[in-house]
Amino acid sequence: MLTLAACGGVTFADEPDTFTTMGFTAGDALSAVRMELATAALDPLDVQVNQGAFDEQQFLSSVAADDPPDAVRMDRALIGGYAARGALVPLTDCLDDQGVDPADYRAGAIDEATLDGTVFGLPDSYDTRLLLVDQDVLAEAGDGRREVDTSDWDGLARLADDLHTRDGGLLTRIGFDPKIPEFFPLWVEANGGSLISDDGRTARLDSPEVVEALEYTVGLIDAQGGWGRFKSLRDSFDQFGAENQIAQGQIGAYPMEDWYINVLAGASPDVPLGTEPFLGRDGRPINFVSGASWAIPKGSAHPDEACEFITTMTAAESWIEAATAKAGEIRDAGSPYIGDFTGNVEADRVIREEIWEPTGSAAFDEASLLIDAVQDASFSVPANGAGTEFRRAWQSAVNQVLSGDKEPREALEEAQDRAQTALDLAYQGER
Amino acid sequence: MTTHPIAPAAPPDRRARARRWLASWRHRDTRAAYLFILPWLVGFALLTAGPMIASLVLSFTDYDGIGPTHNVGLDNYRQLFDDPSVATSLLNTLVFTALRVPLSMALALALAMLLLRVGRASGFFRTVFYLPVMTPSVAVGILFLLLFNGNAGVVNKALGLIGVTGPSWTTDSSWVKPGLVLTTLWAVGATVVIYLAALKTVPRELYEASELDGAGRWASFVHVTVPQISGALFFTLIVNTIASLQTFTEAYTAFYGTGNTQTYSSDAALFYVVYLFQQAFQFMHMGYASALSWLLFLVILVITVLQARLSKRFVHYEYEGDPR
Amino acid sequence: MTTTTPVPTTPPPPPPPAHHRAPRGRGPGRRGHAPGRRQAGPIGRALRALALVGASAIFLYPFFWLVSASLKPSESVFDNSLLPGDWRFDNYAEIWDAVPLATWIVNSVTVTLAAAVAVTISSALVAFGFAYFRFPGRNALFGLVIATMMLPAVVLMVPQYLVWNSLHLASSQVPLWAPNLFGSAFYIFLLRQFFLGLPRELFDAARIDGAGWWLMFRRIAVPLCRPALVVTFVFEVQAAWTDLVRPLIYLRDPDLFTVPRGLKTVLDQFGEGGEMRWEIVCAASVVVTVPMIVVFLVCQRQFTSGIATTGRKG
Repeated sequence: MLTLAACGGVTFADEPDTFTTMGFTAGDALSAVRMELATAALDPLDVQVNQGAFDEQQFLSSVAADDPPDAVRMDRALIGGYAARGALVPLTDCLDDQGVDPADYRAGAIDEATLDGTVFGLPDSYDTRLLLVDQDVLAEAGDGRREVDTSDWDGLARLADDLHTRDGGLLTRIGFDPKIPEFFPLWVEANGGSLISDDGRTARLDSPEVVEALEYTVGLIDAQGGWGRFKSLRDSFDQFGAENQIAQGQIGAYPMEDWYINVLAGASPDVPLGTEPFLGRDGRPINFVSGASWAIPKGSAHPDEACEFITTMTAAESWIEAATAKAGEIRDAGSPYIGDFTGNVEADRVIREEIWEPTGSAAFDEASLLIDAVQDASFSVPANGAGTEFRRAWQSAVNQVLSGDKEPREALEEAQDRAQTALDLAYQGER
Repeated sequence: MTTHPIAPAAPPDRRARARRWLASWRHRDTRAAYLFILPWLVGFALLTAGPMIASLVLSFTDYDGIGPTHNVGLDNYRQLFDDPSVATSLLNTLVFTALRVPLSMALALALAMLLLRVGRASGFFRTVFYLPVMTPSVAVGILFLLLFNGNAGVVNKALGLIGVTGPSWTTDSSWVKPGLVLTTLWAVGATVVIYLAALKTVPRELYEASELDGAGRWASFVHVTVPQISGALFFTLIVNTIASLQTFTEAYTAFYGTGNTQTYSSDAALFYVVYLFQQAFQFMHMGYASALSWLLFLVILVITVLQARLSKRFVHYEYEGDPR
Repeated sequence: MTTTTPVPTTPPPPPPPAHHRAPRGRGPGRRGHAPGRRQAGPIGRALRALALVGASAIFLYPFFWLVSASLKPSESVFDNSLLPGDWRFDNYAEIWDAVPLATWIVNSVTVTLAAAVAVTISSALVAFGFAYFRFPGRNALFGLVIATMMLPAVVLMVPQYLVWNSLHLASSQVPLWAPNLFGSAFYIFLLRQFFLGLPRELFDAARIDGAGWWLMFRRIAVPLCRPALVVTFVFEVQAAWTDLVRPLIYLRDPDLFTVPRGLKTVLDQFGEGGEMRWEIVCAASVVVTVPMIVVFLVCQRQFTSGIATTGRKG
């Protein structure tokens, strides 16, 4: 067997002195430097990074075989599903041992990885959503309006109608893009509702606030030519290029993740970009956040080291050292450093106050400050035991309405049934 | 000297037949035959049978790959009938298969015949037709979305030239499947290669004989070419049908891949194995996914047996050993 | 094998079976020629050339697009032009610098060759067993071979992983190629079809000459079905070379990664946070594809050999 093993290029990953991770890829300095620090913290243990984005098949095979990685990084929306089935270790003891307070992290990022009051993940990335506006489009067709107000839904519908343009059967400019299905939770929150109860046990997909949010957002799209033409135009955008939708005046305004501002800064630094907070109907800003977190699989061969590893990866000092290195690299290359948002409160403060500097471009500096300002208003979809299945339920309801196959209420009632069944099933083991 | 280990045409005497069957085990040809198929037998016993039985057993449980497993009896199979996505995805898959298999076989045969008549340049053209098969599906997935874009896509621009307003291929529920079928026709090169290999084994003498008989081009295609490559046609029919019913990659990369495309997935592109994958690995209902698999197994089995029965009259083997 | 009688390598052409004769008197103008030699009219030839060139353009398009996109700067990947305005060869240098590509290529070549050679030989043996012999249990077993293709692979993934894990081989390259030692249903079926198409007179003649089964397999079945064996080899090279799912599940040590598994780390690295750098994705795709094109170019010559040429010589 040993000779056969040698021919096949076998190495024994379950050797006791190897620490393995899954779902992490060292890209820029922001991730590479932190990985170096976390690796050094585990010395003399050998850290083997199984690079590549999190993959469900890869993870589930290893868990089923009782040979999971020591630490895993995944989309926070998945954590609830794995935690409810007992695939992840609660971090309560780990945080105690390391003297880490969950309040050190952004509440939205912790909530999304907290099931039944127990924290299962520490944030390794953090996406914020704000409103992007094409100032030229607004100035030209906005009827004298200087800003986009998402708290006034009737006014927003009129604005979308004013800003969008058509040429025969084709849509040539989107006035306002609500970015559904993916940003649907933002609209529900704006309408004072929620997709699921805070404890993650009761789905609320058929509640009046959710139905109204779907009717309104689909109505916005229908008034601008319908989903087919709408998505076709959206898909034809040169998102990552110099001729992107904002530079080309192909869109009036839309909510978007903060990373896209980095893309714009690189691809088209002179773009007529405006940024505004997304306002709920009560006029308060709301910030829909998501991202990836580190967790420890049950059966990890090195649970204590895993705790040390994930707390080091997400510690303020690590982020600060990494952001310093990243900012240096970017500036050496002659580009502006736009800033980073990490999910760690202290790290975000130091990065903005000490590492980030105004770049001289008013639009991008404003954007950086705005992202910082909306952090206190952040919310996320609460963790729940049905994880991906819950997300899939409301997303297909939105898609079914967009494609005209179902009415909003009908689609959401079906989704509610499906989601609640999945939730009940996920928590069944507890009883 | 026997070339027929089994005596021909047994009388309908059950006991005699059983005796002959038992006796045939002692025949030296039988031993040789089992030696030849031994690798497959070993592999089946070691690597395939276990997982297949496991999946059957798991289909009666609530296995999720992680926690403890409970017997749930026939619940998973009952759920198949209550779950609307099962019917939707099965119908999508059947429609896609019914469109794709005949189209790809006809196109592949046409291209193969075309290639056969190209002289020296045939190597070049063979490679050209096989290129899309080798092009990674990531690229083909992106290209599908670019080319079939309802607004700016090349396909609709070309249709516009002849005065046709093209549909929204990527969003309109009724056009998603035809669009995907057209995209998968790109990968027809694999079938072309099989047909070419088959056409090359047709003895020229048959064509010459057919020529002497004064048969026209179409007649010799129908009466020489098709029967002579019927083995390959039969193979591609069965295999392409099985593969189409298990379509995963194309639909998954275009509509369900990672990142943003995942959220736009419409029910029109929900293929059976895509749904099965979601249930198994994303929703962690491995037990239910196993039941889904065995339903698909039955569907494929029925379709394959029907196809085999119907094709039997048309498939011609030079060396057919089947006595029944 | 015991026999010393040589088997004729160039068997006599089989007489065309009577039922293959085309009915008389049909078809326009009684002008029939064998394909390849048939003389078409100028219009027919022009049409055929046109069809060929048109089809080629359509089939070349995705690969040309891919190569072109891989040479573009990030901001013009989707600009719908087949010629990059600004040629960026550094996209390739960037991949080469970012990762140990050389190691991965060696791994991939090893795994691919092992997989393709193993599956071609084992499937040919098994297919010959099913095609040539009549034996008790044959139909049932062949049905079982086909049936193994009918259960979706997705659901077998975890149980198969558990099998390899119990053999302590789950983190090795062995699961990527070793299953091929036992033949694969697809190729067994394919090769069986070709073996069944061989004129049985060849085997009868060889038997009279006293040839054993092994010799008949080696000297008649294999040479005459070479195009099909080459197809098997080419298909499996393609399948093994591009396989991502199995390397993703089984391999953990970066030193063991195959090219697609390795490139996934590149793609995820350049796609972090949604800012996918498609030109790098495309360059990586080209890197994966080119070696296969070379293999195909070399192997496709073999498609022209086979019974047609052998028969003509005789």
